[in-house]
Amino acid sequence: MLFTTDKQTQEDLNIYGKQGTDSILSLFNRTSTLNGARILEEMFNYPLSDAEAINKRSGVISYLKTIQAVFPFSSELFDQAEPYLANTDERTKLSAERPSLEKKITSLVANDADYKLIVNGISALIEIASVLKGLLNNTLLKEGSPFKNDPETLNISGLLKAEPISLLLQENSKSRFSREKQAHFDMLLRFRHRETIQRVLKYIYQFDVYITVAKVATERNFIFPKALPREQHTIRVDSFYHPQLKNAVPNTLVITPDSNVVFLTGANMAGKSTFMKSLGIAMYLAHMGFPVAAKKMEFSVLDGIYTTINLPDNLGIGASHFYAEVLRIKKMAKELSTGKNIFVIFDELFRGTNVKDAYEATIAVTTGFAKKRNSMFIISTHIIEAGEVLKERCANISFKYLPTRMNGTNPVYTYTLETGITDDRHGMIIINNEGILELLKKGKEVSSI
Amino acid sequence: MSFIADKQTLEDLNLLGKFKQHSIFSLFNKVNTSGAEKLLNEMFQNPLTEPGAINKRSAILKYFQSKQLSFPFANEQFSMVDNYLSGSGGRHYLTALIVLGKKKLLGTIVRDEEYKKTQSSLQQTIALLNQCKTFISQFLNDDDHPFYNEVLAVKNILDDPKLEWLAIEQNNQLSLTKMARYDNLLRHKMQAALTIVIDTFYLLDLYISVANLAQAKDFNFAQARPKEDNLFTATALRHPGIGKAVANPVSFHQHSNMIFLTGANMAGKSTFMKAFGINVYLAHMGFPVAAKGMEFSVKDGIYTSINVPDNLNMGYSHFYAEVLRVKNVAEEVSSGRSLVIIFDELFKGTNVKDAYDATLAVTAAFSEYANCLFIISTHIIEAGEVLKERNNIQMLYLPTIMNGNIPQYTYKLQPGISSDRHGMMIIENEGILELLDTN
Repeated sequence: MLFTTDKQTQEDLNIYGKQGTDSILSLFNRTSTLNGARILEEMFNYPLSDAEAINKRSGVISYLKTIQAVFPFSSELFDQAEPYLANTDERTKLSAERPSLEKKITSLVANDADYKLIVNGISALIEIASVLKGLLNNTLLKEGSPFKNDPETLNISGLLKAEPISLLLQENSKSRFSREKQAHFDMLLRFRHRETIQRVLKYIYQFDVYITVAKVATERNFIFPKALPREQHTIRVDSFYHPQLKNAVPNTLVITPDSNVVFLTGANMAGKSTFMKSLGIAMYLAHMGFPVAAKKMEFSVLDGIYTTINLPDNLGIGASHFYAEVLRIKKMAKELSTGKNIFVIFDELFRGTNVKDAYEATIAVTTGFAKKRNSMFIISTHIIEAGEVLKERCANISFKYLPTRMNGTNPVYTYTLETGITDDRHGMIIINNEGILELLKKGKEVSSI
Repeated sequence: MSFIADKQTLEDLNLLGKFKQHSIFSLFNKVNTSGAEKLLNEMFQNPLTEPGAINKRSAILKYFQSKQLSFPFANEQFSMVDNYLSGSGGRHYLTALIVLGKKKLLGTIVRDEEYKKTQSSLQQTIALLNQCKTFISQFLNDDDHPFYNEVLAVKNILDDPKLEWLAIEQNNQLSLTKMARYDNLLRHKMQAALTIVIDTFYLLDLYISVANLAQAKDFNFAQARPKEDNLFTATALRHPGIGKAVANPVSFHQHSNMIFLTGANMAGKSTFMKAFGINVYLAHMGFPVAAKGMEFSVKDGIYTSINVPDNLNMGYSHFYAEVLRVKNVAEEVSSGRSLVIIFDELFKGTNVKDAYDATLAVTAAFSEYANCLFIISTHIIEAGEVLKERNNIQMLYLPTIMNGNIPQYTYKLQPGISSDRHGMMIIENEGILELLDTN
């Protein structure tokens, strides 16, 4: 089964970002090869929903991090090999016959581009094959390497021993070949064993991605989460933080079936959204088998992640923002009703309507969510009154808040999660700080004099 | 001092903007000439604050409404003539003659089009001025209408003996000397006077089309009263931009200066408040309003807070944006100005308790200002229960009638406070809670 998510979620978590902005993808998007970048993006498109696959991938990356592996290929090799392989025009096939005098003269005058492409492509593939052999023997197939159990690695290792790669390995990329040999290699590599060669290259690109991710994990001090079996329905994240913020404050959170709804309150600037985004990003990356910004993380694999943090209210009218939220919840409710276990983040639930409706709706929807013990919900709201009612009604809601300390009349934020419902009411404080009521009172006195 | 309406208000009421869909400006923009469109835009930008001026303009529009005319000229005619007249002609007969002679010569030698162009412009100008003369004659039969003086001024200019030739030369081919003489006369000697003629016709275009719109849409004219009277009444006020809008009576006076409006989400609160705001604005322009029997004391301005956008770029939450808006309005109100204030559903982005406290405190403080008119809508009916004690606050609501599961709205104001809310109903209609109940 596929791990499901949607565009809204990816935008909320800034997975791909807008052009020119820093996204989560751009944190990792430092592969040596262009095709590596493509594979990386595909991994972001399709997170995994299988604990074994996740642990396997993270195990592999984690191993590369430990041995501090580097990508041993020069990236120009692939710039030569790829266009060569992409040229499938039969007419460009090298012939073993000696070229006619006419052709020789032509090639003297006008350099034959196709010929050059072919010669460069062949020698690039020779070089790639020999580096790959070294990589497999010296690193990947060594004792203790998780690659030893990777079927694709074993396949590739087998391919190196068979034609045509075994032939390539006998050659030196620097040496010049006879016309006959060139024609023979060209026929083998580009036509007869084309798919084999592409498979080998793909393996290298994949390896490029792993190496890059491992490097990012080292540089940023990310850790590898452990995927737990689905049935445990548990998340334990120790000191997670937002990977894109400098000096981000870490927080710790545990979610079990007995506390699968987190009801988050806190003042406006207290960091609710950042907290939710950090957790969402960590969950997203964890389901890709990627390292996350935390000290330790264990999580049960889920079927999908849905966030609602910046729901666009482009419709202008108040009712339609509310309706947009209702439809979003409906979408999640549908997923839940099919028995999927999903991870839900909802920031400022029902902020698009009046406080009375928001109060009732928050209670009703949160109570509904709480029945789905196998899914996990993080819900933030301003309506702290709803929390008091929910406390009575559902035992499996854990109440958390981000505090505000008042320094005189200036609010100071700790960004550290605490248990409970905040009683920070800043509405009136803000109104008082702005001096609105005094203003009106003073104006009245002046006019009555 | 001009009537105050800031950007937020203009946006809330969708007043301005030629290319904005359903803007009030585009509703009224049925004029023929671009000169009239420019005037209309100026009137929309600058509503009046002086009862005399307002009543004068509405009297003129009323007069044209009774006449039921159509403006007989096309925009192209006027813009061509306007261009011609505002272009520089010869300062003297001789220079005009030389310039034209040169053009004519060029025309014969190198087929230059300039001479022909001048010739045709001149002829069209002659034709238009003759038509104008005929058109205004109908307004001169009775002299007790409010636009008489302007029309008379135009008549006097066109009757100037220097322009006697206009009628004679209507269809004649003009000689070079004649052309030079006329060109010099129209574009130099009489230029200022003729500009008055053209401008008056732009005004005529505007008045005729606005008056006709009033007739077609069943709009009426409001009576402006001095500021001190401090009242507002209308027996049937509706939204001018909505075809089958339901009309409601509205009345404010010195001792009843605030409406506390409740009702469900779709019951029409915002539409009612917008309708009120738009009509107040139009009335201050002396324009026809979508209301019957409307009388109003002129105000210094209008402030609305209907769709306050949150400015997240500046780190403002919705709540803070609203607070700043209220502060802005409070500053204006406390400065002693007489204003019309409209607040729709204040303090959304906060908790219930704060929303209640804030609504109560702010509403009560504002209501003290008897020289301002307020409409405040909210869902916090508890605030209404407290505010009910104050005699100067009218409690009104827009009802919802439940037809089984489907809400129906009358859009008719009722006295009292309504606790109708439909947020939960929308959620129930979508079947969300049932979805969550299935296991």
